[in-house]
Amino acid sequence: MNTTVPLPVRQRVIVALAADDAFELFTRGIARWWPFGGHSCSGDAALDVVFEPRVGGAVTEIARGGAKHPWGRLTAWSPPDHFRMTWHPGQDPAAATVLSVRFAAVEGGCEVAIEHGGWEALGERADEARADYDGGWAFVLGRFAATVTGGAS
Amino acid sequence: MKRNTVAAFSAFSAFSALADPTREAIVRLLLDGERSVGEIAERLPVTRPAVSKHLRLLEGAGIVRFESVGTRNVYSLDPAALEVLRDEVDALWKRALARYALVANNSAPKKGNRR
Repeated sequence: MNTTVPLPVRQRVIVALAADDAFELFTRGIARWWPFGGHSCSGDAALDVVFEPRVGGAVTEIARGGAKHPWGRLTAWSPPDHFRMTWHPGQDPAAATVLSVRFAAVEGGCEVAIEHGGWEALGERADEARADYDGGWAFVLGRFAATVTGGAS
Repeated sequence: MKRNTVAAFSAFSAFSALADPTREAIVRLLLDGERSVGEIAERLPVTRPAVSKHLRLLEGAGIVRFESVGTRNVYSLDPAALEVLRDEVDALWKRALARYALVANNSAPKKGNRR
């Protein structure tokens, strides 16, 4: 089965904040804007997502009652310019894609640019998986799907 | 009733479609090539009507496609399925960044370059 690996998702937005405030809101302030309903591991019970602010640090969803769900790990942490993380909410780290976020000062505020990709890495792992069991393509589809649903179950 | 099931799928159709063990098993079977409903039902512990229902959901989500070959109705994986999923990742970030911008602009300090 030939499948073409999609290009990364790229989007940008300009906000009326200085870069350090924009970075702060995106990370420490994520609970103020992230659409938890539908895009979290614990749904309506989701309270926050905590960034352990260092390379290698965990990014963890915290739910009411204290349950924790890993979203990924920071692979770059350079406030207020950039961070990058592996992205596997509620899934095995082997299913990770890659999220990169850049903050750049522009006139009137800050441009925030996200890039969410790494689908090709999923494809490589899918090939390995395929050698063991006949699930390569389903693996890619399923893991790709998990990048957004947060594996809610 | 069949049509309603498909119509009930909304924005996250492709993701919801794959979040089911039977449908994932069907997708795995189709990795080897096209198959009829009967051939799929023989290989899975589910009835033909159940297989048909799952296939319609997968078809509605853009994961599989359907073709009539003579008297046989066969299903195969849709090569565009990964693009469908990518579009949904795109939609997630569109929604998330719109909310981020709204909160950011509402909390912007009232000094300096006011517009």
